[in-house]
Amino acid sequence: MIWRIAKNEFLLHLMTFKFAAGTVVCIILTAVFMPILVKDYQQRLHTYDENVSYNEAELHKVVVYKNITPTIYRRPSVLAAFSQGLEKQLGNSATINYNEVPEIGAGSVNHYMSIFSIFDASLIFKIVLSVLALLVAYDAVSGERERGTLRLLLSGSAARYQVLLGKLLAGLMVLVVPVAVAFALGLAIALSFRMVGLTGSDWIRVAIMFLASLVFVATVYNLGLLFSCLARRSAVSLVLSLFLWIVFVLVIPNGSVYLATQLLPVESEDKVNEQIALLQRDSQREFQKESQASGRTIPPGSSSTSDAVSCGGFGHGYIRSCNDVLMEYNLIRYGIGVPIEIKYAEKYAEAEYGRLRTLFEQRRRANNFARTSPMFLYESMMSALAGTDMASFQHFIEGVRGYRKDIIEYIRARTDNFRAAIFFTPCTKEEMVTRPRGDDAPPLDLSDLPRFRYEVDMAGIRRRVVVDLGLLVFENLLFFTLAFLAFVRYDVR
Amino acid sequence: MIRQIIAKEILENLLSFRFVLSLLLTILLFTVSGLVFVGRYYMQSGDYWAKTNENLTDFRGHSDQLYRLLFCKQNAWRKPKPLSLCVEGSEKSLPNCFSFDAFSAGFPQIQGRSNFTLSYFNSIDWAFIISMIFSFLALVFAYDTVSGEKEGGTLRQMLANTIPRHHVLLGKYVGVMFTIGIPLCIGLLVSLIIVVFSHAAVISGWDWLRLLAIFVLSLLYLSIFVLLAVFVSSRTAHAANSMVILLLVWVVFVILVPSFGRIISDALGKTPNPAELERQLAAISADLWAHSDQFGERAGSASTDPKWPGNNPPARARLRNAVTEAQNQAREDYHNRMLAQAFDGRRLTCVSPTVAYQRVCEAIAGTGISRCVELRRQIKEYQTTLKEYVHTKDQEDPNSLHLMFPEQSMVGAWRAISHDPVDFDTVPKFEERDFTLDQSLGLAISDVGLLVLFNLVFFAAAWISFMRYDVR
Repeated sequence: MIWRIAKNEFLLHLMTFKFAAGTVVCIILTAVFMPILVKDYQQRLHTYDENVSYNEAELHKVVVYKNITPTIYRRPSVLAAFSQGLEKQLGNSATINYNEVPEIGAGSVNHYMSIFSIFDASLIFKIVLSVLALLVAYDAVSGERERGTLRLLLSGSAARYQVLLGKLLAGLMVLVVPVAVAFALGLAIALSFRMVGLTGSDWIRVAIMFLASLVFVATVYNLGLLFSCLARRSAVSLVLSLFLWIVFVLVIPNGSVYLATQLLPVESEDKVNEQIALLQRDSQREFQKESQASGRTIPPGSSSTSDAVSCGGFGHGYIRSCNDVLMEYNLIRYGIGVPIEIKYAEKYAEAEYGRLRTLFEQRRRANNFARTSPMFLYESMMSALAGTDMASFQHFIEGVRGYRKDIIEYIRARTDNFRAAIFFTPCTKEEMVTRPRGDDAPPLDLSDLPRFRYEVDMAGIRRRVVVDLGLLVFENLLFFTLAFLAFVRYDVR
Repeated sequence: MIRQIIAKEILENLLSFRFVLSLLLTILLFTVSGLVFVGRYYMQSGDYWAKTNENLTDFRGHSDQLYRLLFCKQNAWRKPKPLSLCVEGSEKSLPNCFSFDAFSAGFPQIQGRSNFTLSYFNSIDWAFIISMIFSFLALVFAYDTVSGEKEGGTLRQMLANTIPRHHVLLGKYVGVMFTIGIPLCIGLLVSLIIVVFSHAAVISGWDWLRLLAIFVLSLLYLSIFVLLAVFVSSRTAHAANSMVILLLVWVVFVILVPSFGRIISDALGKTPNPAELERQLAAISADLWAHSDQFGERAGSASTDPKWPGNNPPARARLRNAVTEAQNQAREDYHNRMLAQAFDGRRLTCVSPTVAYQRVCEAIAGTGISRCVELRRQIKEYQTTLKEYVHTKDQEDPNSLHLMFPEQSMVGAWRAISHDPVDFDTVPKFEERDFTLDQSLGLAISDVGLLVLFNLVFFAAAWISFMRYDVR
């Protein structure tokens, strides 16, 4: 019985104007904008390649160990075309330095672009498909009552729950069509481009995206069904559901951010800067104490002595040839200073992180408020799957931090805990006499330098998606139950 | 007769369910908007004055020696504006801190209380409520003006009388405009009352004029949607169908098209790569230093000991100025490319009246991205003024070398610029100036034209469609 009703409804829907209009808009938008989105990805990939090869080239120029400061770039996510998330808002690179722990930041992105809101395929799905779902659902019950067909339907042997389930099934079958078409079209366009390839895990993520889109569309459909069962006239149910749609799409996501910023104001960074300034003073004091304890003194006149300094990789200079004074001065400065700076870098990061924690907490609260909106849940799932949400960036930065430790250990092992002269100068004992000039120092052999490897955090993504998906399914059930309760008591006259 | 039609439309709408719902929604939103603005304004003013005074104290500290004025790192902060009540112009995520000294200006930064981890979001300001919510309400009130009456059968009766069709059309249009004008006025009043009585921001005489202009433009903007709805309504036979079309058009115009800007300009032009800029700057400096002899003998080497015979101050000054100038030029190009990207994106999305409306409101309120551009221009002007001031003052000192170049240690050690103290009151200080009315008008005029054009096109379309509408 359910099946018969569903089939009947499905065929009716397929021939409606609203279904045709909604599907056509969705297809046109996907067809027009997917190529642009993919082209944008290609361009970012190109920039990424450029940066990486520059980095590699510089690595071969490194003459002294202190100049090993590679910048790690985050590879743009291929699925960002589906959900852009924070991809263009956060810095996508981090520089390895012994005196600084990399931290997530706004980076050097073009701030002026923030006058535009994010545009990606999930926006098209989110907006157009949800409107379509509401349009399909709004007159499912109230419209039939107006036309008088509901009476006929219920006078037959069909139970009310069967009618409603049949309508749900029909709605879902109808909505699968545009979702599937848009997805297939989007993927086909993306794959037709050069440089775009999807790996196994990407395909799994795309599949979950598709599933998430279906659940999302079903939620909105159930919402429309609920209003259709609550209202007597279809015009009223349309207006009501559209008002709620506006609230979900525009008011809640924007309002929740406001609420979070109001409830938990962020401190200005002055305090952190003061803290860091204090720590810097401490580190200088510690340096003086340690150098006194070592019994070595900085030779007089060393600070005003300078010698040939030239290019030594990553835009840093180095000391080509030394005299005794300069050598002793730098041996103390680096041999004693660098371990202290490494220790204090952690402390600066800790101070910095105190402020960042507030920012993250603010964001977490904003997201939690916004989770009342199915549109937000959907968006959050899509960006998690595309690997463009906050947690993915944090995972990347953590990877870079681990890599920084590897590099430091590598340099430490090669330079006798930063005490060897090769940390800052290639100048040997003999050269201190001959005093050579120019860039003729041989570059270091860094073939065994640890390399940065980054894997997408699939477990983390799964965890984040499951929560949101669970919430969405719950909303689905809730709306349907409410719709069912309303329909059981619906006056069909 | 036309008056009767208008009165009928208004009364019919006033009693409807959708009117009550929209009135409640707008009062709620405008109240929130007013309260949020007051809270934000207090906080921003506090921060602004604290930072500006800090900056001034620091600058005063540099006035003990004339040359140090040149090297003082100054920060200019965006002043909070009372009119950001109407349109904040995504200023939260636009740069708010501009640091500079007399020689160069860095890229504008976002500092202070903003949270970069939050995704860009719209402020609940007037422009947001009107461009998003009210445009939708306009459709809700107008989608069934023609097709709804046809379905009800009343259109036939009305036109069977001696009323000309254009009277009916005008009557309906004016009626709907009045109907949305009522919640709009109430909302704006609520919001203004909150702001005026909280004494947070003082709205001055000219600001009221600007507010009035924004109100008129809002009506102009909403009129586009009413006309669009009338047009679509008189092209369709069923009210439900006209709602479907209108909804899709609205989604495209109001939500999708304004977000296209970024992606289109990203795909069209090459996005500036910050790493490339760094490389370029390093290359400029390396190149000029490698050929430093072209600026004079021994320009590349200098000692802070003024008696060292290797010093050649004029050559050094030329070299340093050349490096800074070339680097400034590269930075400026980069900055212009960033701006061009944003402006191009916006220009391409003007097909949506929402973008035109947002932009015209920003121009009139003096907020948004144009303000950042203007602020940076003012900073450049100020740099020239400051340098001129130092130059004139420097002439009074016979011991100075009268060489101005961006290397603090050498300028200080050689006394290239006077070390005499100056009276801080005579030193020019930076202060942001608001847009003048001329500037606002210049920025606004093309978008006003666009809004009017949209109105005319949809009016003509509605007129023609209604004249040939089949009332059966």
